[in-house]
Amino acid sequence: MTSRVRPGPGGADPHVDGAVRAPRSSRRDLRPALNWLGIAPFLIFALLFLLLPTLNIVLGAFRSPEGGMTLDHVAKLFAPSILKAFWTSIRISLFSALLGGLLGFLIALAMTHGGLPRAVRDPLLTFSGVASNFAGVPLAFAFIATLGRLGFVTVLLRDWLGFNLYATGFNLLSFWGLVLVYLYFQIPLAVLIITPALDGLRREWREAAEILGATGAQYWRMVALPILTPAFLGTIALLFANAFGAVATAIALTGSSLSIAPIILFAQIRGDVLQDPSLGYAIAFGMIAVTGIANIIYIVLRTRAERWIK
Amino acid sequence: MTSSRIWSWVAFGLGVAYFLLPLVGMFEFSLRARRGEYSFDAYASVLGDPQFRTTFAYSVTMALVTILLGVLIVLPTAFWVRLRMPRLRPLVEFITLLPLVIPVVVIAFGYIRLYNTSSILPLTGSVMGTNVLLALGYASLSLPYMYRAIDTGLRTIDVPTLTEAAQSLGAGWATILGRVILPNVLGAVLSGAFLTFAIVLGEYVFAALLNRPAFGPYMVWISGNRAYEPAALAVIAFAITWACMGLISLVSRTQKHTRARS
Amino acid sequence: MPYLDISHLEKSFGTNRVVKDFSLPIEKGEFVSLLGPSGCGKTTVLRMVAGFETPSAGAIRIEGKDVVPLRPNQRNIGMVFQAYALFPNLTVAQNVGFGLKIAGVAAAESRARVQEMLELIGLPEMGGRYPFQLSGGQQQRVALARALAPRPRVLLLDEPLSALDAKVRVRLRGEIREIQRRLGITTIFVTHDQEEALSISDRVVVMNAGIADQVGTPFEIYNHPASPFVASFVGTLTPFEATVVDPAAGTVMSGGLTMNLGRALAAQAGASLPIALRPEAVHLGRASGREIVLPATAREVEFLGSVIRIRAEAGGQAFLLDTFNRHDAPPPQPGEPVEISFSGRDVVVIGGR
Repeated sequence: MTSRVRPGPGGADPHVDGAVRAPRSSRRDLRPALNWLGIAPFLIFALLFLLLPTLNIVLGAFRSPEGGMTLDHVAKLFAPSILKAFWTSIRISLFSALLGGLLGFLIALAMTHGGLPRAVRDPLLTFSGVASNFAGVPLAFAFIATLGRLGFVTVLLRDWLGFNLYATGFNLLSFWGLVLVYLYFQIPLAVLIITPALDGLRREWREAAEILGATGAQYWRMVALPILTPAFLGTIALLFANAFGAVATAIALTGSSLSIAPIILFAQIRGDVLQDPSLGYAIAFGMIAVTGIANIIYIVLRTRAERWIK
Repeated sequence: MTSSRIWSWVAFGLGVAYFLLPLVGMFEFSLRARRGEYSFDAYASVLGDPQFRTTFAYSVTMALVTILLGVLIVLPTAFWVRLRMPRLRPLVEFITLLPLVIPVVVIAFGYIRLYNTSSILPLTGSVMGTNVLLALGYASLSLPYMYRAIDTGLRTIDVPTLTEAAQSLGAGWATILGRVILPNVLGAVLSGAFLTFAIVLGEYVFAALLNRPAFGPYMVWISGNRAYEPAALAVIAFAITWACMGLISLVSRTQKHTRARS
Repeated sequence: MPYLDISHLEKSFGTNRVVKDFSLPIEKGEFVSLLGPSGCGKTTVLRMVAGFETPSAGAIRIEGKDVVPLRPNQRNIGMVFQAYALFPNLTVAQNVGFGLKIAGVAAAESRARVQEMLELIGLPEMGGRYPFQLSGGQQQRVALARALAPRPRVLLLDEPLSALDAKVRVRLRGEIREIQRRLGITTIFVTHDQEEALSISDRVVVMNAGIADQVGTPFEIYNHPASPFVASFVGTLTPFEATVVDPAAGTVMSGGLTMNLGRALAAQAGASLPIALRPEAVHLGRASGREIVLPATAREVEFLGSVIRIRAEAGGQAFLLDTFNRHDAPPPQPGEPVEISFSGRDVVVIGGR
């Protein structure tokens, strides 16, 4: 064990080199501390640029202007307009996560076990990589140009089939419109996350089930789906957070006409709409609370679903 | 078997329609700048816009700085965790996944509060400081992708053996990381890098809230002021994302190829 | 009528014929091994019996009924796979009871059967564990119990031991054979390990390039290989080219050495005859009954434990010979002159008796 630490010529890591020069007895005692030093840069980075900013928001949400504790800010979350915005956000995120997860699962299933040719797979995965990152402003443009009032498909439907999409009550700048747009990056993201799990289903499991008399449906119900459940739950959780925090797509699509939590917070920080500094803290805290609760639900479900994994 | 295959093709066909139509619509729209005929006028207008060039150059620079930062932070960490602290892996993985869980707008809000002019570290006080903060923010956004890519790469090589072999030949830590580990996971690092590039280039929230002249805010700005240029920009952005992903799959394919020899 | 009758089985993948006119009648309760190198078609035969592959031609009859049109889940066959194919999300008991649950066996009866199976494999306390908590050998035992629980008509074993450590492998193969004997279940065992096939089977089928080269008891296969392939694949030997001198008397000549094989040969005088010697037939030094003695030089000495394998050279011809280890008689050094002896009766005639 001790031979692992050897002095390097360049002295790349002063901490480790120092340990080698230190007397033998103290070297062993120092080892655990030195190991921590190895990931200290990462921990400091994470602390400064991920954890402390978040913690600052959480604490800020409970700090009164005089410096004491207060629940006044958080109480502002329960104003009807804010509640409604949160509720809309949660519903959009949940629908787009569930639908995206389900459709992504089906596409990944068709790709891995549905007999689609191998040649489809690589382009499909690469495209998923593209589409799952094709969020934000360009995506909004793409949908406006396609399904907006003067969009490509809207016009085609009207001119060729005499079908007026917008007469049906469809509106791209509505709840379902937003879900439709979000699905464009949610589905591919689900495909990317679920595909490895589906690849992990071993052929022998299916064959073992089959030779023991199981039908395809029985195999999926009793073996494959339970095995996939943790990965599926993880996908839904990630998709939920992904949609919940999406700001750019929504802003580019709707301006600020649709009131959802991240847009309100964004506008609040920019200072263009509301001028109540404490409300910003409260909304940010509310958003952390929602994603936090979503993840706790996910962790609980997952623990119950994967008793069989170490 | 055949029924499931038909079903697969139907699902595949619907998926293709849903995913291709917006791209077709976007492209078609971007060509409509000249009345009555298709033209590339919108593209010419976008590419000729000096603001496009400055914001694009700014975002490319930011992306490169972010990639450098990301690799410098993630590679030694992932390496060290694999080598010495495997028990910390869940913790490190959890931290790297946080940017996917905490909404970006919240993190950005935290930055503004924590690093404003009246704080101990007043990064937002100067242009350079804000640039640095933006790069650090992007680096934290790229953590999930970078860490996953690099850690997957490290999984395919025997880190302890390679390290000990290098040490027995007298290599120091910088040499081990730079000359032994990095070349072996270069494919993974590049995958993470291209993904980071694509993300940073289109990023909006951080840049807008920190008030930096990046490509994302420019796209939003132009969408409110022009008709056809936004579609042209979207096509350009899509092409860049596509190029990044194409490069990733190219890199992973050549990696597979070199690995097959062993 | 054989219990399981595989007749004129063919399988092609595209233009590649992987199984060619394969016929094998198996009696009830028999343990038959398919032995051959990878790619010889042995696994394909097994998978056709299981129903995972459809034969291009031929029939597979169980109790006189062709099962080829049946799907795997209708065949009532048990199978153990190479890699541990236990369902990771189910406990050991649930794994073993899987087939019973599918068959709609009542819970109480199923529970009793599962316990019976767990006792059969010697893991009666492990029912509540998950597969990840078991060792490889334990997992394969559970896989065996799972395959046996629904009382299948035929048991198929697809290289079930190849993923295990050497020691576990040897012990488990003994247990598999014992369980098979006790239940009297007709079994096909696929392996590429000749020692495994010889030690465990009633009969061995040596397969090469999709063809059954030889079918016989381990004793026949080892001592009377029907082809050069069988001879080289099963056990170790030193091959020679000989010329028949007197077929009736069994005299042949090889490299200037005349040998009497002690039996009549089914070949013309002057015809060439492939023959071989097993290492255990060659003796270090002189011994009674070994009429052929050759001066030789030891070239390589391999100490294998109970046996020492020596490669010696005599008249430009290499001989492999095995000698038992004796603590009071150290083996020769490489380069040392030795005498080797063997009997013409121990010479193996390849492709004949």
